[in-house]
Amino acid sequence: MQYQMNEFLFAMILTELEDAVGKENCSTRAIDKVTHSVDYYWLSRMWADRGCRMPEADIVVCPENAQEVSKVLKIANYYKLPVTTWGAGGGTQGGAIPVCGGIILDTKRMNKIYEVNTEGMYIECGTGAIYKHIEWAANEVGKATMHYPSSLTCSTVGGFLAHRGIGVVSTKYGKIDDMVLKMEVVLPNGDIIETCSAPKHAAGPDLNQIFIGSEGTLGIITKAQIRIFDQPEERRFRGFLFQDMTGAFKASRELLQKFKPSVMRLYDEAETASLIKKIVGVERKGAFMNVAYEGVKEMVEVEEKILLETFAKYGAEDLGSEYGEKWWKEKITFFYPGHMMDIPQMFGTMDTIAPYGKIEEIYWAMKAAIEKEFPQAKFIAHFSHWYEWGAMVYDRFIIEGKDVPQDPVEALRLHQRVWTTGVRTAIAHGGVVNDHHGVGIKLGRLMKEQYGPAMQVFEGIKKQLDPNGIMNPFKLGL
Amino acid sequence: MIMSEKGKQHVDSCRFCWMCHHICPVGNATGQERNTARARALGISLVNREAIELSEIMDNIFECACCGACVKECVTGWDPVMFTKETRLQAAMEGKLPEYINVLVDNCIEKGNAYGITEIDAALKEKIAAHKEKTDLVLFLGVDAIYKAPASAVNAIKVLEKAGVSFTVLEKEPASGAQLEYLISAANETKEQMAACAKELNGFKTVVVYDPQDAKVLKREYKEWDIALTAEVKTFTAYLADLVKSGALKAENSGKKVVFQDPFQLARDLSETEEAREVVKAYAVLDEMLCNKKDTMWAGNILMAEWMPEVMNRVAEDRMNNARGVNADTIVTASVSEYTALKAVEKDVKVISIEELILG
Repeated sequence: MQYQMNEFLFAMILTELEDAVGKENCSTRAIDKVTHSVDYYWLSRMWADRGCRMPEADIVVCPENAQEVSKVLKIANYYKLPVTTWGAGGGTQGGAIPVCGGIILDTKRMNKIYEVNTEGMYIECGTGAIYKHIEWAANEVGKATMHYPSSLTCSTVGGFLAHRGIGVVSTKYGKIDDMVLKMEVVLPNGDIIETCSAPKHAAGPDLNQIFIGSEGTLGIITKAQIRIFDQPEERRFRGFLFQDMTGAFKASRELLQKFKPSVMRLYDEAETASLIKKIVGVERKGAFMNVAYEGVKEMVEVEEKILLETFAKYGAEDLGSEYGEKWWKEKITFFYPGHMMDIPQMFGTMDTIAPYGKIEEIYWAMKAAIEKEFPQAKFIAHFSHWYEWGAMVYDRFIIEGKDVPQDPVEALRLHQRVWTTGVRTAIAHGGVVNDHHGVGIKLGRLMKEQYGPAMQVFEGIKKQLDPNGIMNPFKLGL
Repeated sequence: MIMSEKGKQHVDSCRFCWMCHHICPVGNATGQERNTARARALGISLVNREAIELSEIMDNIFECACCGACVKECVTGWDPVMFTKETRLQAAMEGKLPEYINVLVDNCIEKGNAYGITEIDAALKEKIAAHKEKTDLVLFLGVDAIYKAPASAVNAIKVLEKAGVSFTVLEKEPASGAQLEYLISAANETKEQMAACAKELNGFKTVVVYDPQDAKVLKREYKEWDIALTAEVKTFTAYLADLVKSGALKAENSGKKVVFQDPFQLARDLSETEEAREVVKAYAVLDEMLCNKKDTMWAGNILMAEWMPEVMNRVAEDRMNNARGVNADTIVTASVSEYTALKAVEKDVKVISIEELILG
């Protein structure tokens, strides 16, 4: 796929791109290429840690709007140059790495907040806006986006849309795909389209949902209307300790038939004894669960009563509000270097999702498979996004010390094997290839195993929209 | 590249962390991925691993304002400013500074200011001459005010005159070393300049420092680097607050709604956020904009405009938007550098210095 070009042709293409986006927004400097070659994907980090250069784009372009994106894509299509879209680089799946070189299209100049509409309850912004900045804009008018992932401060709106991200208050307010009203998308051929202004309709399939999660393989989302919400009158927390996770699943399933809390997070015994002990201070054996409920004060009172009654039925020990409040305060602390796993450790989050009848079974099957195949690996997990019908498991493996190969290719090989084992086990027991980090290049090979013949639907759309295959090649299994 | 173990530890912690991405005023203004603490750390870590040349990252190393917003944001305590400055020092020692920085450094050493200016504005010269007599208190104007913003320097003098203060202004004010500290950090040349300045200032009992950048080095780096400064150092804003409190400055509140732009050197480096507010509240109605006090967002400066003027305008424009966000019609500054940067993009929101607020 790598486009081999001579110096003359390269210079010609560069001038065309400079004409499209402005010379100052077009770079071939080493620092720009290096910076856009390492994202949050463990393999890219390991590669750089070992002193190796990851695959780099030939040219980094930073368009200001859809019109400029359109020009870039027309040029790329003509010369059949790969185009990889980059938001802020916080993705864990290698989705933004320009594995075939070509063009990196960085969206961050498209960061304008066009409208804060308190009547329609949305913010219209360029998808290069850092999500925290639109949260600030919402806060200035007394509203909130209610999308609070750990990467809130370091990911763009487009980045979250590209891989179907999720935040910690998802049970009440939804995932990013629930939060979009309308989008502007530039197709690979340069056409600029808009999706319907109402996300719920009967005018055929939902165009938004075709592009959300497409990871830059079908087009580039350049503008979005993102929902905002009233700030809750009251937000309360309650920590619980379950003796085992089975009780927690039963209690949570029952609770969710009655009302929707905002935060629900259940930690397995291993994670309760490690991360929760370290950051929140719970020094007890068992499975810690934190629940938050919020909204109109009178409703919160009722919800609290229902929560306590329901969880008591399943033997949950009420730990009061202190741990939950501490967790809320520290919810992003978990992810700072020094608190979070980091190189030289090898680690990964193999999040998956399934209905209640399967999710606990998946947890045990993945734990057994990883611990059996890779006895050097530690397995910890929490369940952090819950629905009326099921929940997701955020399961992680950690390999440390001399068990992590220093040779980069050997390290890559081990990393791939652990992932393949874990995700195959999840799929075999009814899970999905990923819950909210996306697919990228990390899991592309498992998409066909997940979807079987259904994969041809994605392939058909890809072929029609991107016949030259220039858009983010080798991502999403496309 | 030779780097301290501490520097390497911070670099290797920041190179794969994105958490302060939203807070970098330069990154927000340019939208460039390289203008982040993690990109800078990644570049340095690759230099340390001999995967990239130091010269290939140096432009980016000088795109950092060293405002410390990322340092403030980091809950673990990693310090991108520390390793950025260490890299500048190392590049200076290895002769790998970009040419446009070399020129500024040479000017600092030879002419005492990065701009290479030797003539002082006539009106300012006259004002300085009026205060050449030795007193206990010296008003230290700083090179930005003297050579790039003489009208601001004149206003600073006028404010002290209005309060009836007896003070001295040096006709040949030495450089504090703040510019060299920013450009090449703890190099011998920086320390020599600081020592010469300290020697001059030690002839006074009190030094009132007009420019927060100078105040930061006089109060912080001088101590850290054992530069013997015995005179008491006061920031201009803290001194003004004393004058308002004592009644030497007779304030009349105009009722005008204003916001205050905290200079990061005062708010973060010197933990001074309330003194300027006391002054502003005496003359106007103070509102707060997004990112205030220790969370302040830098609004640009004079020195970096030498090599990235367009970016300075965008940085200032972003800060103006924060003022607009709370419907402020005036933004009050306490840094000659930020005043100049904001003034360059002044439109619907009026920009005034704290001196102008007092002088009316």
